Amino acid sequence: MKCLSRVALIASMSVALMAGIAFADESAGKFQADFLAGKLTWDDVLAQARQDGEIQFYYWGGDDNLNIWIDSVVTPALAAEGVKLVANRITGTKDAVDLVIAEANSGRGIGDGSVDAIWLNGENFYTLNRQKLLFGSFAQAVPNAVNFEWNSEDPRSQLNLRDFGIETNSQEIPWSGEQYVCAVNRALMPTEKTPSTFDGLKAYLEANPGKFTYVKPPHYLGNTFVQEVLYAFNPDGTGSAPFQKSLEELGVDELARIAAPGFEYLKSIEPLLLGGPTGTVRYPEDASAAQGLFRNSETHMYCEFGLYGVATNRATGNYPQTAEEIVFPENAMIKNKNYLAIPANAPNPAAALVFANYMASVDAQASKLETIGYPAGIDPWKLTVEDAARLEAAAPGHFGVTQADLDANIAPDTNASLVDVIEATWLEYIERKSTAPLAEIIATAAKNLNK
Amino acid sequence: MTIEHGLTQGKAEPPSWRLLLELAPITLVLALLFGAATVLAVAQSLGFAPWYGINTFPDFRYFAALWGSGIFWVSLGLTLYYSLVSTILALVLAVLLSLALIKAFPGKGLYKYIYKLPLMIPYTVGIALAVIMLGNGGMMSRLAASIGLISDPSQFPRILNTHAGWGIIAVYVWKQTPFITLAVYAVLLGVGRETDDAAAILGANRFQIFFQVTLPQILPGIVSSTLICFSFNLGAFEAPFILGGGFPDTLPVVAWRYFNDADYTLQLQGMATVVSIGLVAGVILFAYLAVYRRYERQRGRA
Repeated sequence: MKCLSRVALIASMSVALMAGIAFADESAGKFQADFLAGKLTWDDVLAQARQDGEIQFYYWGGDDNLNIWIDSVVTPALAAEGVKLVANRITGTKDAVDLVIAEANSGRGIGDGSVDAIWLNGENFYTLNRQKLLFGSFAQAVPNAVNFEWNSEDPRSQLNLRDFGIETNSQEIPWSGEQYVCAVNRALMPTEKTPSTFDGLKAYLEANPGKFTYVKPPHYLGNTFVQEVLYAFNPDGTGSAPFQKSLEELGVDELARIAAPGFEYLKSIEPLLLGGPTGTVRYPEDASAAQGLFRNSETHMYCEFGLYGVATNRATGNYPQTAEEIVFPENAMIKNKNYLAIPANAPNPAAALVFANYMASVDAQASKLETIGYPAGIDPWKLTVEDAARLEAAAPGHFGVTQADLDANIAPDTNASLVDVIEATWLEYIERKSTAPLAEIIATAAKNLNK
Repeated sequence: MTIEHGLTQGKAEPPSWRLLLELAPITLVLALLFGAATVLAVAQSLGFAPWYGINTFPDFRYFAALWGSGIFWVSLGLTLYYSLVSTILALVLAVLLSLALIKAFPGKGLYKYIYKLPLMIPYTVGIALAVIMLGNGGMMSRLAASIGLISDPSQFPRILNTHAGWGIIAVYVWKQTPFITLAVYAVLLGVGRETDDAAAILGANRFQIFFQVTLPQILPGIVSSTLICFSFNLGAFEAPFILGGGFPDTLPVVAWRYFNDADYTLQLQGMATVVSIGLVAGVILFAYLAVYRRYERQRGRA
């Protein structure tokens, strides 16, 4: 009898618990609906955020400078709003995306997940968007939205409205802007020998075998290098233009035709890359491994996202003091923005909105630019004269090139639906040394990814 | 001990509730965590993954694709090579070390603590040490360059990130020598020195003493510790990932790459890789134990 009553007690307790959870879901769902319908004032959001109490932020934790900035600047700023920032540092953004997908698939809906905000762009946004796992159009509804250009008639707004060619629908807010910049070690590579095209790079490597490598795809730094190669060897001479279309619009056969010369180039330089002369070519797994090679003079040139990367890395000693930026490749330096997105099942959506709004503030952006050299995600022409001047003063300098040189050679990112196909093709054709015709490899990759 | 053993066998009572209770925690953990994970892994590798919209169970296509590609067998060869060479090297060093430890020498008290140091340091730290010391940007290459042996650090012979795998083997040996030593030394202490002395008095030389007297005595310690080291090496991921030579990778790294691919269907291929590692490890360890049991039976032990 005693035993039975205990069972009854436990059962009633778990019913109560479940009811509690269901109630939390309901309130999160109501908050989401009300906010997206514009029924809530910002003060309501702030009050709800204080009630949420914390925000689970997931981001790539591979940059010590960024981690220190998050802990020493962002955490106290949010604490002032009554929100505790929990920084979840992950080795790859895909981990957070996988977590959101897995939780959603196991039935954890609105208010019931464990990720409040993710720092992402490109294919990761594409995946969440395609699976309809984003909170909704919030980016233009927070107070600091005034810091961005949203008018689609202004071509400069494209970086806020589209992410790797995919319309964002304001489901993510720009946080930082980046450009893929190559740095060279001037102690090893004199100005007159510096390449400015991929053919020039090949000629340089023929004279200095093994002195360059790129990060291994599917890492995004490697993908970006491959994309720039594909733009440069586009047989129609139209550069990045066809790569802006989605796989559906472009068609698999057309992709194979315009990508083939680029992949042939990548195959042809393989014996000239690091380790290539001795038979085993070496592609570093991530940025820190590749930076180590550059720092240690094993490579003469290194490419990664970082408009001010040379200035910051020279200051921290991560790059040689003789490192300089170059314009490479001419007219095809990929520039994009990266964003903060809120998943549909965020447990603390109000706190996530407060966090996103803070990250878009002039204070946060100027401090980020000054301390870690990540370019501003907000648009200077939308700011007051004083704020714009503050941003400009906060920017670290350039070495060897001017901002105008870098601005004059930009190209857009590849459409997110093509990125995975290109990545799978690289793995099959370059890494696994498949002898199948390129068109067939690309067709197989496209078919597998769209299953 | 033998008396107790005989008693329980003689009565052949059903196991007491108390015994079942005592066994329950470990049985539950094994059944739930290990058993369920194994069942799920096998099911996935055979095409059961409705959460990715795939359910073709039972479907041997993933194993066929994996085992049908030549590169899988290269990866398997590399995995076995790193595991086996490092286990053998660690074993040789550990036996020599335990034989030395059994003798008296000045500072032995301190040395007995020092040799265990790597046991307390995690593998990842060992890997970081290897990168710092042995890499082409590491201490040794820079030292060699600064004293003029080579003109720049990149000319230093490559130890890490090659398929010869000296970096991986170095980390495993560094970490596992003390582990095997611990097991072998404990057995040596248990059997004492009397049999060795007797053999010496009877005129056996040092090699005869080792191979005919000491080795059979320490064999149980050797088998159990090398079993653990070998199976760990077979399934370990970090060292081959960070210190390995890239494509073709060892099987655990191959599995990770499949899991990390943008193509979610490749996760099933990854599961097939994981199950393959389990199969290979199971077969090898079972064979190893069977051979050892047979040897023990022939000697009239166990």
